[in-house]
Amino acid sequence: MPVPTTGHTTESLTTWLAERIALYLKRQPADIDPDVPLAEYGLDSVAALSLCGDIEDDFDVVMEPTVAWDYPTVHALAGHLLAELAADTAQGGGA
Amino acid sequence: MLIAAEPQDPHPATAAADGDGTPGQEARAAARVAEVDRRLGDPTDEAGELSYARLIAADEAGELATAGERALDELGLGADFVPTAEGGRLERLDTLVRVMRQVFRRDVALGLGYGVTSFMAGVNVWTSGDAAQRARLARILTGGGKVSVAYHELAHGNDFVRNEFEARPAPDGGFLLNGAKQVINNADRADAWVLFSRTSPAPGSRSHSVLFVEREGLDPDTWRVLPRYDAVGVRGCHLSGLRFDDTPVPSSALVGASGTGVETALRAFQITRAALPAMAVGTADTALRTVVGFALGRRLYRKSVLDIPHARATLSGAFTDLLTCDSLSLAATRAVHLLPEQTSVLAAATKYLVPKLLTDALHELSIVLGARFYVRDGEHGIFQKHIRDLPVLSLGHAGSAACQATIIPQLSRLARRSWFSDEPAPAALFRPRAGLPDLPFDRLTLASGRDGLSATLVAAVDTPPGATPEEQAVQELARQLVDELRQVQEASRALAPQDRTALAGPAAFALADRYAVLLAAAAAIGVRQQAAQDGGDAFLADPAWLAAALHRLARRLGRRPAALPASVDARVHEEVLRRFHARTSYDLYDTPLTG
Repeated sequence: MPVPTTGHTTESLTTWLAERIALYLKRQPADIDPDVPLAEYGLDSVAALSLCGDIEDDFDVVMEPTVAWDYPTVHALAGHLLAELAADTAQGGGA
Repeated sequence: MLIAAEPQDPHPATAAADGDGTPGQEARAAARVAEVDRRLGDPTDEAGELSYARLIAADEAGELATAGERALDELGLGADFVPTAEGGRLERLDTLVRVMRQVFRRDVALGLGYGVTSFMAGVNVWTSGDAAQRARLARILTGGGKVSVAYHELAHGNDFVRNEFEARPAPDGGFLLNGAKQVINNADRADAWVLFSRTSPAPGSRSHSVLFVEREGLDPDTWRVLPRYDAVGVRGCHLSGLRFDDTPVPSSALVGASGTGVETALRAFQITRAALPAMAVGTADTALRTVVGFALGRRLYRKSVLDIPHARATLSGAFTDLLTCDSLSLAATRAVHLLPEQTSVLAAATKYLVPKLLTDALHELSIVLGARFYVRDGEHGIFQKHIRDLPVLSLGHAGSAACQATIIPQLSRLARRSWFSDEPAPAALFRPRAGLPDLPFDRLTLASGRDGLSATLVAAVDTPPGATPEEQAVQELARQLVDELRQVQEASRALAPQDRTALAGPAAFALADRYAVLLAAAAAIGVRQQAAQDGGDAFLADPAWLAAALHRLARRLGRRPAALPASVDARVHEEVLRRFHARTSYDLYDTPLTG
């Protein structure tokens, strides 16, 4: 898998997502198991839409508003985000 | 003679007024509005079968007016909820609002109970259904049948992601329905129901699906209609529930892909949230008309009530708020056609603010009516019925708080990306009689981060004002409102993540409120600008009503703007009286009414 020129890795994205989601849930990032569905922690559908906006703002990508519904865990989201960022870079978005 | 009694429309459609869309839209819209009005008849004529007196009597009996249902059957109103592409009459959302206003000005229960429920159900299928489902639905509605929308489970309110009503996948590819839906309009007599159902036990937003279930062919031993609810308002509506126990339904009932129920609902809601609230501008129109008639006839302190400054200001204020509501509604309904990507926030703001403004206006009017407001029959009896029925609009299908919850997660993104940088909305958004392209059901999206409407407010300040005191007043008020938008922007940027969820703090809900008020102001500004440019309606082109509207909105935001020139109230008051005597509507259309 090519490493995106923006320097993001699964680990860095997992860390970013866990920290951000922890803020929504008022928990510690370490408390969030990256393989447990976020809805089980009480992340509601409204917060999931907000999270999508945060991702767009911080990574300058365009995501489907429902991304956190379709990739419902930290790991799934990190993987999807990495692929999107790589695609973006490949299309010249990172130039 | 019938023909002589027909009201003449002072605003005939012209070819020039039609922009996009198929030619003749405005002519068809105006003709349909007049046709519905004529068939329902003069509601103030006590001998009429749909007089206010008869409608009040039906309400007292807890029934929908039979003559009303018959009239709407004969008018084929169901086809007004079916897009033209599916063989119906629904060309434009703003036209549907105008048509339904004729029903709502007489009876909210009839408007909801006869039709709007079917419309609310239908948009789910128009938005996400396949060709066969759309054809089946179109056949039911154009044939005079009804369809219920069943989202609600009392235990979960607007938190419908927690809904438990289950459609369990069956081995044959179909589903087994289990559970109950409550407070469902027309559940007892609908030909089909749109059921929001859990199709997976997993938590989250991909576990529900929308099902379009026809009554015919269901195993009668496995389902039943639950007892009817008795409500404070809309007492004629058939509010009941449904209970299913392992009821098999075919796979063809599934609307869209499995697990897309929440998304379908949130997209369909944009259409209903934009269109529904302003239908009740017709209801408020009757309330205002009733109070104007009362004020003209009653003498106190050796004066007509109309000469009492407080009463007079209340009437002008109510009329102004109706114009504000209609401006916001116009922008929201036309945005569905023109800016579908931006509709999610705008429709939620409309559903949040319009019922609130209308309810407040009616309460203020009730003070002028005094003790008469409490009387259930007679000349002013319709007022108490309307004031009881109106709140159902902010309860039904999306509560005020649920609408704010749609706005809240988008605030910070709008603050960062859109406000003070987006292009103003297109002029066509604000032209009440201009043509529109077809409804783009597939282009509605859950969030976009764009907002051209607030940009219209921002741009207004950059336009040099005219020299008249009214135009100067508008300019100064717009400046204050832009200042307010800047404050909302700063506060939205600073929202902590937990304040961008459904459990956000009161401050986030207050921000959504302020933003909705600013969108209403922007819509009113846009409407007046276009009227002035098009050389159309002289009253709408006059800055007086806009100055009054912005002044009231600024005060609603807690500002204390300078007093308006006296000419503003004089102009608005004069128009209140003119429309009363001319029997034309208290909205953007100045439509001739039968009474």
